[in-house]
Amino acid sequence: MKKFSMFILITSLVVFFGLSLYADNVQLPVYNGSPVTITFWSWAPGIDQWTINAFEKAYPNIKVKWTDVGSGEAEYSKLLTALSAGSGAPDVVQIEYQMLPTFISYGGLVDLSKYGANNYKSLFVPWTWKQVSQGNAVYAIPQDTGPYAFAYNKAIFDKYGLTVPKTWDEYAADAQKLYEASNGKVVLGNFDGVGVSQISWLLGLIWAAGGHWWVLNGNTWTQTINSTISQKVTNFWGNLVNKGYMSTITPWSADWFPAMSNGKVASMICPAWMPGYLQENLSKENAGQWRIVPLPQWPNMPFTSGNWGGSTDAVTVQSKNPEAAFIFALWINASEESCNHFIGYLFPASFVGLDSPRMHDTTTPVDQFFGGQDINQIFIDASKAVNTNFEWAPWLNYIYNEAAKDISDAISKKISWTQALDQLQNSSLNYAQNQGFNVK
Amino acid sequence: MEDKKIKKSFYSIKSMIFLFLMFVASAYFLLPLFWIIIASSKSNSQLFSTNPLWFAFPLNFVNNFVNISSLFNGEIWRWFLNSIIYSGSISIGTTLISSMAGFAFSKYNFKGKNVLFFAIIGMIMVPSTALVLPIYLLMHGLNLINTYWAVILPSLVNPFTVYLMRVFWMQEFPNELLDAARIDGASDFRVFFSIGLPLVKGGLATVALFSFVGAWNNFFLPLVVLSKENLYPLVLGLQVWTSLVTTGQSQGIITYGPLLMGVLISIIPLIFAFMLLRKYWQYGLSAGALKG
Amino acid sequence: MKIKIRLRRSIPFVFLSPFLILLVLFYVLPLVYGFYISLFRQYGLRPPIFIGMGNYIKAFTDIGFLTSVLTMGKFFLIQGSIMIGLALLFALYIDNEKNHLRGLFRMVYYIPFAIPTVVSGILWGFMYSKSLSPFQSIFSLVGLLHPDFLSSGNLFWSIINIVTWEWTGYNMIILYSGLQTIPRELYEAAYIDGAGNFDIIKYIKLPLLIPSIILATIFTVIGSFQLFNEPFVLQSMTYVSPHLTPNLYIYITAFNYGNFNFAAAMAMILAIVTFAVSSIFIRYSALEEE
Repeated sequence: MKKFSMFILITSLVVFFGLSLYADNVQLPVYNGSPVTITFWSWAPGIDQWTINAFEKAYPNIKVKWTDVGSGEAEYSKLLTALSAGSGAPDVVQIEYQMLPTFISYGGLVDLSKYGANNYKSLFVPWTWKQVSQGNAVYAIPQDTGPYAFAYNKAIFDKYGLTVPKTWDEYAADAQKLYEASNGKVVLGNFDGVGVSQISWLLGLIWAAGGHWWVLNGNTWTQTINSTISQKVTNFWGNLVNKGYMSTITPWSADWFPAMSNGKVASMICPAWMPGYLQENLSKENAGQWRIVPLPQWPNMPFTSGNWGGSTDAVTVQSKNPEAAFIFALWINASEESCNHFIGYLFPASFVGLDSPRMHDTTTPVDQFFGGQDINQIFIDASKAVNTNFEWAPWLNYIYNEAAKDISDAISKKISWTQALDQLQNSSLNYAQNQGFNVK
Repeated sequence: MEDKKIKKSFYSIKSMIFLFLMFVASAYFLLPLFWIIIASSKSNSQLFSTNPLWFAFPLNFVNNFVNISSLFNGEIWRWFLNSIIYSGSISIGTTLISSMAGFAFSKYNFKGKNVLFFAIIGMIMVPSTALVLPIYLLMHGLNLINTYWAVILPSLVNPFTVYLMRVFWMQEFPNELLDAARIDGASDFRVFFSIGLPLVKGGLATVALFSFVGAWNNFFLPLVVLSKENLYPLVLGLQVWTSLVTTGQSQGIITYGPLLMGVLISIIPLIFAFMLLRKYWQYGLSAGALKG
Repeated sequence: MKIKIRLRRSIPFVFLSPFLILLVLFYVLPLVYGFYISLFRQYGLRPPIFIGMGNYIKAFTDIGFLTSVLTMGKFFLIQGSIMIGLALLFALYIDNEKNHLRGLFRMVYYIPFAIPTVVSGILWGFMYSKSLSPFQSIFSLVGLLHPDFLSSGNLFWSIINIVTWEWTGYNMIILYSGLQTIPRELYEAAYIDGAGNFDIIKYIKLPLLIPSIILATIFTVIGSFQLFNEPFVLQSMTYVSPHLTPNLYIYITAFNYGNFNFAAAMAMILAIVTFAVSSIFIRYSALEEE
């Protein structure tokens, strides 16, 4: 009897400690090196001088010099040029998920697994870790994400008697109903896939349907731009565009927000970083009128969402202090102080961030804009539902430019939407093979 | 009888029609100016809700001006100053260098002169992209990236101004003068500086103006060789801010109203300079036209 | 005496030297280096592979490059004729002393030239957008829908408009200066012989204006093939095909795709072709002179 109760006691103690070890935050690394200064390129709002000051307090031997050399493409051009010229690249650099493979295959990023990066894998939402890794190598630390939800103007929906769509069929039905009832003056949504790099919007939706365009196996890429799922999703939107049920304004152009402000566009596929922009850029009359609900779904699938955007921080091969750089990149994305500071600007990829009580503060102006909803909860659920099975190709810049052209041709009805996918598949396959990639 | 005829044609229907058409063309050329003046006087909400062709009250000129001037510690004025530094030094340097080179081509005969001259003229048409990337790599090797020199030095090479100066020297400085001065024992350099330059004053002013404007306009070279914002010329800075606003990445810091005011600020100085100095411009172009 | 002659012979080179030094450093050297890197193929930071003329062969079959050159050719023919045609009409108007308000028009038409092309691109880009556009009211007055000026079908023409707006005044001044050099006595003689205004234009002004027209055309060709600023700034406002202009395509190939070698090859091809074309032009007009 004694032996048995001893066994129970020991087992429960082990289980208890084991669980608490798991529940305990993984400790962030310590820096034991000599004092260094590292350079940092980043444009993300919420990662700023405050963050740096807090980091330098925690790691007194590492000083950080931060510059914003431009956002997105502007920074990438400079990074590319600096890498190829052999100097001028920073220690730590902000890179969005989709551009990581480009810089990885360029040979510009350090494999952080040798500094123990994989020990911190559990701190981040799994699909984001997959995005920054290739096999066991880790090339960046996830920062923020943009999982999809659905934002709509409740006032317009009420006015025209539309039901909030839970499936894509319902969405299409709403689109038709709204167009007809308003005589074409009001449309359900804008096709946000117009413009260079905007193809990511459409890809996010293909992602949500369980599709993907690229898979890396060892050294070989397989590209399936015109796969069945891809065609299904693309033609779904293409049909709505062809019928006029969707507008085709270039996102972020001067006409884009006004269209929603003025009640001409009634909803949008909304990534997690979007609500702040909506609250800031839509006219005051819109406050309190908009709501957010989960993304509409395809039939016969478990709940999934897609992702649009989000960044990481990587260490470049020109860094003379890669360990310090790694520690910085990890801290700004996984520490409680940093995450709490950027909540509201960026939607965290780390569990520390997602679990923060600040995420559920419904008194913020943004939540108030949506009628006091706890919108972050919807995005948290969406983030957990994003497919891990999705990769980006290293020739993405080419895709961005070509896709914009093919989409633009499809919109002006020069080619069908399926043809647009075929063209993109063929031209980019050609290009990638020319560049020396193993791709089929 | 003849007077009546002239009077008639002065006010004839045909001339009125032409006049009307010229006014329509004027409206076309002035429309963007008119629009930007109006647009830069509006607040963000006024911009998207009021008639674009007239002012809306209350006017927001001062607000927009103060806003754009104070962004990032007055960065727009930093850029303005940079443009003056770039354009000023490029203008002075180019004028000096081209006047010397033009002098050499017009007053001397040396081996390979014609070949060299034709080569230089041909270089006018070489597209900037052929040069800018290697220039970037060169500047990088010399450790001059992100300095004023990275923009100034390559811009001092201006084949067109060499061509222009050669024309001016030929027109304004007769060969006999040079021969006479030489007989008097003056060195060619003295002739160049004390006699020659004053004679081609008009040409110098034209070249100075031409290269100043060209340098002010220069976008591609700074775009590639500069990544530190505090070194940007005005056109580059303005383009960066514009793309931030139009692609939704300005996080509400830079907004349309003040941005348009920034555009207005970038336009006004050159327009004033032009109106004051247009005499020199036409002088230069007519010289070019004669010998073209 | 010999030393003096030697010194005398070297004088022109002293005057030339600042220009020549800078020319070698910032024109010749870059061109040579550009040519050098165009002979290789390299991806990322892997070692470069020598491929000789490989990039050049690729350029001649590359759809992007060929499209951009053809598009610019089309651009030059259409935009060039419109602009020089307009400049000619305006120049003729302000040259004719009988016309009203010549000085005013001369100044007004010239003003766009004072605006940097980047800023013109931004200005017109905003004016082309539906919400900011001053054309809204004008179009609805005439009962038409405001067209999407920045759509991919219309972008070519919209840029033609911007470039025409920027440079017509400049070309007008070139032509006007040419007109001003024609001796007035020729006109008086023609009047006495009974010629009308139109005849004077046709038989005196135009023929004597040909050198100026050639000059304006040369500037226009240079401008068309150098076109970069306006399409570049419009990129942030709408979709601009990377195949629109050669310079844009070369820039994107180098700085977005990271393919510096191929970009260098295309740039070399452009440099050689434009150099050859302009040399022929210059030779031709110089021969005319003599």
